[in-house]
Amino acid sequence: MTGTRTIDVSGLKPWNISIQAPLWWGQLSIILIEATMFSILIATYFYTRLRMDVWPPPGDRFPGLLLPSLALIPLILSAGGSYLASEAAKKNDRPGMIIGLGLNLILAILFFVLRVIEWHSLNFNWMEDIYGSFVWAFLGLHSFDYIAGLVETVVFLVIILGGRYAERERLGIHVDSLVWYFIVGIWIPIYIVIYWGPHLVETAQ
Amino acid sequence: MNPAQGPIFNTEEHAQELTILERVWRHPRGIFGWLSFTTHQAIGMRYIVTAFIFLLAGGIEALLMRTQLAFPNNTFLGPDRYNEIFTTHGTTMMFLFAVPVMEGMAVYLVPLMLGTRNVAFPRLNAFGYWMYLGGCLFLYWGVFTNTAPDIGWFAYPPLSGPEFSPGKRPDFWAQMITFTEVSAMCVAAEIIATIFKMRAPGMSLNRIPMYCWSMLVQSFMVIFAMPAIMIASSMLLSDRTVSTHFVNPAEGGDPLMFQHVFWFFGHPEVYIIFIPALGMVSSIVISSSRRQVFGYTAIVLSLIATGFIGFGLWVHHMFATGLPQIGEAYFTAASMMIAITSGVQIFCWIATLWTGRLRMTAAMYFVFGFIAIFVLGGLTGVVLASVPLDLQVHDTYFVVAHFHYVLIGGALFPLFGAFHHWFPKMTGQMIDEKLGKITFWILFMGFNLTFFPMHILGLKGMPRRVYTYPPDMGWAAASGLATVGAFVIAIGGLLFIANVLWSRKHGKLAGNNPWDADSLEWAAASPPKNYNFAYLPAVTSRYPLWVAPEDQVIVTGLRNDRREVLVTTLMDAEPHHRYVLPPPSIWPFLTAVAVTIGFAGSVFNAWYITWGSILSGICFIGWFWPRRPVELEP
Amino acid sequence: MTAEPMKPATLVSTILLLVLNGCAGHQQSAVDAAGPQAGRIETLFWFFLAILGAVFIIVMAAAAWTLTKRHRGIEQEPLERTHLPPPQTETRLTRVVTIATIATVVILFVLLVSSIVTGKGMAEFANSKNPMVIEVTGWQWWWQVRYQNSDPQQVLDTANEIHIPVGRPVMIRGTSQDVIHSFWVPNLHGKRDLIPSRITTEWIEADHPGVFRGQCAEFCGLQHAHMSVWVVAEPGDKFQAWFNSQLQPAPAPTDPVLQRGQQVFLNYACVYCHTIRGTTAAGQNGPDLTHFGTRQGLAANTLPNSMGNLGGWIVNPQSVKPGNHMATIAVNPDDLQPLLQYLQSLK
Repeated sequence: MTGTRTIDVSGLKPWNISIQAPLWWGQLSIILIEATMFSILIATYFYTRLRMDVWPPPGDRFPGLLLPSLALIPLILSAGGSYLASEAAKKNDRPGMIIGLGLNLILAILFFVLRVIEWHSLNFNWMEDIYGSFVWAFLGLHSFDYIAGLVETVVFLVIILGGRYAERERLGIHVDSLVWYFIVGIWIPIYIVIYWGPHLVETAQ
Repeated sequence: MNPAQGPIFNTEEHAQELTILERVWRHPRGIFGWLSFTTHQAIGMRYIVTAFIFLLAGGIEALLMRTQLAFPNNTFLGPDRYNEIFTTHGTTMMFLFAVPVMEGMAVYLVPLMLGTRNVAFPRLNAFGYWMYLGGCLFLYWGVFTNTAPDIGWFAYPPLSGPEFSPGKRPDFWAQMITFTEVSAMCVAAEIIATIFKMRAPGMSLNRIPMYCWSMLVQSFMVIFAMPAIMIASSMLLSDRTVSTHFVNPAEGGDPLMFQHVFWFFGHPEVYIIFIPALGMVSSIVISSSRRQVFGYTAIVLSLIATGFIGFGLWVHHMFATGLPQIGEAYFTAASMMIAITSGVQIFCWIATLWTGRLRMTAAMYFVFGFIAIFVLGGLTGVVLASVPLDLQVHDTYFVVAHFHYVLIGGALFPLFGAFHHWFPKMTGQMIDEKLGKITFWILFMGFNLTFFPMHILGLKGMPRRVYTYPPDMGWAAASGLATVGAFVIAIGGLLFIANVLWSRKHGKLAGNNPWDADSLEWAAASPPKNYNFAYLPAVTSRYPLWVAPEDQVIVTGLRNDRREVLVTTLMDAEPHHRYVLPPPSIWPFLTAVAVTIGFAGSVFNAWYITWGSILSGICFIGWFWPRRPVELEP
Repeated sequence: MTAEPMKPATLVSTILLLVLNGCAGHQQSAVDAAGPQAGRIETLFWFFLAILGAVFIIVMAAAAWTLTKRHRGIEQEPLERTHLPPPQTETRLTRVVTIATIATVVILFVLLVSSIVTGKGMAEFANSKNPMVIEVTGWQWWWQVRYQNSDPQQVLDTANEIHIPVGRPVMIRGTSQDVIHSFWVPNLHGKRDLIPSRITTEWIEADHPGVFRGQCAEFCGLQHAHMSVWVVAEPGDKFQAWFNSQLQPAPAPTDPVLQRGQQVFLNYACVYCHTIRGTTAAGQNGPDLTHFGTRQGLAANTLPNSMGNLGGWIVNPQSVKPGNHMATIAVNPDDLQPLLQYLQSLK
């Protein structure tokens, strides 16, 4: 190209912490992949459930409702922490980021403790029957994502506390909030499937 | 691009800038350096070369199968070996060749066509390649240790389950899937982000090159299809290794569920392979007919429609399982609709060729071969869409013929066309056209000799996946013919390799734009510099290089002392902000090694998942950790 | 191949017909229907072939025309500057492409309707009165066959060879003992998968006597290639005679050699898997051998049923059908001949 006409972009900012960042779109793609994965898992759950007369199979106790429902409170609030951190990242507000990430971390750990307690009380494991396989798969896969998200939060917290960060890390915090919204958001349908699913169908019978 | 001719450039300053660009984008040296490459040309080329090696492996497997089937009751291969080979052939061709080679071409071409310097996530790109390579080595580790999968590339349980396939063979299949899927998802994410956010200024949605459109559709298909196979293969794997019951009929698991999930991926998978090929055909047709493509909007909409419809017809792989009739009618209709979207594209290309100034390059020969073979394969696809007909020809050689017509005709011929078309761009030298045309004729004749008789074999009742057949079935003649054809194809393949080697050595210099083509990759040097363009181009037309030189526009003002690119808006590609791409890094490789340890080890001991996760977590942290100041400053 | 009057006499199909007809082999062909179900499919196939063949030829002609055009004055339309032909050319092309697209839609609609009509016709078969019900169970790598009847005395067990009366609808109820198989006798009907934990059905009928070969059509492991079945269609009375004789238990041998053979069978491990009604052999893991001597083939019709083949099969099953599940039993050479003679005598 022998262009004689030019566009000068030297006036544009070198980073942008918003939906305009390519990283945001890349992260969105990854989230779509995971969302599809969980959707398919939910679909296969119901496919299997519709083939069974008794659900859960005899011997499996229904998972408790109280603890998982209570646990939703810190979980949803932790997304708020994530939001605060992301907004602070846009404004380069260091204390704001630390508070947001810290809030996110504490609430997220609280949720996970509650989950583990409830998980521990299940009287079946993945080898028991197909119901057990599904419940453990949901819990396992979501926990895997969850822990990965937690580690990410810790890493950001350490970086911000260390003070050696710039636009790149702030963009990371912004995009990471997207991940956390997903981890929180996808839990709601899974929570309904695991804890309400058997009850609802049971009453209908 | 030679901006020095423009009046605005001070030649000396320009030379200085080029030196800085060269230095910033230079590849690191040494073996660690080599493992740290992140430029899209290098990664793309690695994909293409690796995939080509596995094309040869898959081809050798095909020859072994055809040798076994040349005569009735042949004992060249026993049933065990034959089952391993046909499974490995299908798996290799689908997962280690077809999808990765399309990804490799995209990684190479898309940033060039969009007028940017690299893909949006260069290190993720490198990671994706290493994962793909891990998958290749993993499967062939199985092949060379007598643990190649022997359950078909579809791995239906319960045959693939723990009861009927003890040992580790299906595990190698299932875990290889995980490797290649991770790789495909990495590429999909970065292609989407690149096409959405890193197009040249002015390249609004209606000016995106057709090939990039096809890659955009393909990437979205990867995003929605690949998770299905991850679920299917993981269910199978966990049933086998940690005794879950997802697909175990004895415990309420349903083998048909696996089939549903598998084909929810498996059918789109075919489009994931051939939609990029359609984009290649468009590129070749435009540049060879030297006119604007007829029906740009129609073709793009057809591509998008194919992407959507592709998810609504998986059940036509399962008609023989006995589904309710109403569902059958729906899936027949949906399957036939694909013929409309494909038809529109074929019609538009023929219309373009009719009224263009056709130049019969070797690439164009492959496009014509594509039209002939793909149309026939599409028509037999209509046969398979019909439930009654499918009940007869399903799982026979008729289907083998059909999908080789669609996949070889629909993807491999365009790919070979693309190799001939973009060879000058990738190497800087012309490929020998005459030899290319001879290659085409040998491949075309060999192909039809191999696969046309299979239609007849299928109608005469020969099922697929049989390692031998009795002499009195009347199948020997057609089978023997197919074997001869397979070896003719092999000769064509060797000729292509010879042509590449010869042209690398003796081919004349290509120059930037030997075909007088329209799209931006032809504005870069041949082969492209690591930074692609000294000044990023801006576009004012769908065919930027066919715009009069005085109307062409370039971008100035990017910092050249770091890997800076321009981010533009999603719809209209207005410049929005500058963006710094990371320098080369060893972390993608180390992370891939860590993940590989987890994946490969988990086949033998489930705890490796934990160790692999911890290791790769550490690597990801290293990957993300803040870098040297020049990258940090605003 | 029977000459049916309704086959469309297009060039392509005639040639294909000749090719298919030319190398007549065994009776295992999707385009040589021997019953109404396969007949419907075959008719539909020729209809599809005629239409799709025509479409193929037209599209190829259109594509080839671009090659001739190149030599005929295309240079008259200067494309240098705009790379775009004049507007009237584009309008003309739009018209042609639109017509072609509409034609595609219409053709596909016709094919869709014809396919659904054929499917409906085949489904109506399920309303037939007085059907015969045969249960087919797939095993790695043979077919268990049971003729169902409300009267338990009339239930017949056999394997690998199905006899049906001509002109009477037969319902095949399929399932599988192990992995997925697919029951497919192309001259009578398309395939139906046999799936563990599920029951699938298929309706077949033969309209003339004949012997038709079928083969497993879903990959089922090592010996997928050697899992075939014979369907023998016979006139009603002949079928009834066969059925009645098969219902009988195996007669007690009187000949001393055969008596010895029976003892050999009962004393070896054969009885763990095979049943011979009328003796104490009641194994359930292999084909019922009560009337083994009447069958055409052995090892799921891998080999014709003859004394020599049977001997080879029993002595070394793995060489005949590598990987199959029949146990290799070291039969004492003295015992072999009586055993073979006994098995062959089970008529």
